[in-house]
Amino acid sequence: MFGRKGKKGNYAYTVARVKAKKSALLKEDAYSKMLMMSLPEISRFISESGYQKEITELTGKYNGVDLIEHATYANMANLFKGILDSAEGELKDMIAADLERWDAWNLKVILRGKSYGLDMEQMKEDLVPAGKLGLAQLETLMGYGSEEEIIQAYGKFVDLAIPQNVLATYGEEKNLAVIEDYLDKAYYERLLLNVDPSSRPKRLFQDFIRNEIDITNLETILKLKKEGITGDVILGYYIPGGAQIDKKLATQLANADSVSAMANDLAQLDFYEDIKDALDDSKSLKDIVAALTKYHRKQAKTFTHLYPLSVIPVIDFMIHKETEVNNIRIIARGIESGLDKEIIKGLLVV
Amino acid sequence: MAAEMAYIGAGIAIGLTGLASGIAEKDVGAAAVGAITEDVSLFGKAMVLMVLPETIVIFGLVIAILSIMM
Repeated sequence: MFGRKGKKGNYAYTVARVKAKKSALLKEDAYSKMLMMSLPEISRFISESGYQKEITELTGKYNGVDLIEHATYANMANLFKGILDSAEGELKDMIAADLERWDAWNLKVILRGKSYGLDMEQMKEDLVPAGKLGLAQLETLMGYGSEEEIIQAYGKFVDLAIPQNVLATYGEEKNLAVIEDYLDKAYYERLLLNVDPSSRPKRLFQDFIRNEIDITNLETILKLKKEGITGDVILGYYIPGGAQIDKKLATQLANADSVSAMANDLAQLDFYEDIKDALDDSKSLKDIVAALTKYHRKQAKTFTHLYPLSVIPVIDFMIHKETEVNNIRIIARGIESGLDKEIIKGLLVV
Repeated sequence: MAAEMAYIGAGIAIGLTGLASGIAEKDVGAAAVGAITEDVSLFGKAMVLMVLPETIVIFGLVIAILSIMM
C-alpha cells in the first residue's frame, strides 16, 4: 500500500546503516598518512579505523603485509555479509545477487592459484567469502587437485552449469581467461535474469547493472586496444546486456585502429565527458581504468542521491569499501616492495 | 446533530493524523535505529528526527479540540 513495506525490504534501516558505515570509511588524508608509515604502523592504524576485530583475530597467525591483506579482505567479507543479514525482502535478494560476484572472484583466485602452484594459505590472501560460498566451501574447492575438479565442484555449489564447449576450449588451450570470461558473462546474465524489473527499485537496480556492464565492456575494449588487439578477439570478451554499448557499437569500437580513433564512436555515450581526458594514446592504461572507476563511483553517488531509499546506496557503499580495501593493500604491498611513495600514490583511487 | 457531527469530525481528525504520523515514523524510526546501531552517539539527533512526525498528530489534536469547542 505505501510502497516500501513488508517483503519489499527494509530500505530505511539498511540504508541508514550503510550510510553510517560509509561515513566511517578512511578519508583521503588517511592514505597520505599511511604512506609515511611502516607495515606494523599501518596494521595498528587500520586496527583503530574499523579493522580491529580482524586484525586481533589474525595477529597470531600472520604478520606484516600478510596480516594486512588477510584482515582487509576478511573485514570486507564480514561487512558485506553483515549488510546482507540485516536486509530483508527484495532488498536482501538484490544484495545477495550482487554479492555473487565474489563467488566468481574466488573461483578465479583459486584457479589462478592452482595454476601457479600456490598453497592454500597463499590463495586465502585474496579470497573474499562474501558471496554464496563460505570459507569452508572455498577450502573444499582449494583441496581439489585439478582445475577441472574445482570447476565442477564450483558449478554444483552455486548451481551454475559451465557449458561443455567452454570446458573443452579450456582443456585444449589451458587458458584460464576462457573460464574467467565465461564467469563474468554468466554473473551478469544471472544478475539481470534474477532481478525481475516488475518493481521500481528492481528496475533501478537493473539500470545500474546495465551501466556497470557498459563500463566493464569499455574497460575490456580499451585494455585490449592498448595491447594492440582488435576485432573479433575483443568481441569474444563482450558482455551482452549493457545500456548503451550494444553489439554494433562494440564491433565499431573493437575495429578502431587506436584508442584515439574510438573517440567519435564513444562521443555518443552519456559518460564520454567523464572519460574523454583519458582517451588519448599518450595516456596509460592506468589512467583509463582510473577514469572509468571514478565514473562508476560518481554514477553510484548520483543514483544514491536521486533514489535514497533503494539498493543503490548499499551498492555505492560496497564500491567505496572495495576501493578502500584495495587502496590499503596497494599501500601495504607498495611499502613492502620498497616502491617510491609517489608511484604508490598514483596507483590509489581517491 | 451539530454536536454529534463535531465529535465525529474530531475523531476523524485524530484518527487520520495518528495514522499519518505512524506511516511517517515507520521509515524515520527504522532509519534512526539503523543509524544508532552503527553509531550510538547519533541517539540525540535520531530522537529529534523521530519525534518530528508527531507534530502531524498535534495538528489533528488542535483541529479536534477546535471542532468540539466551537
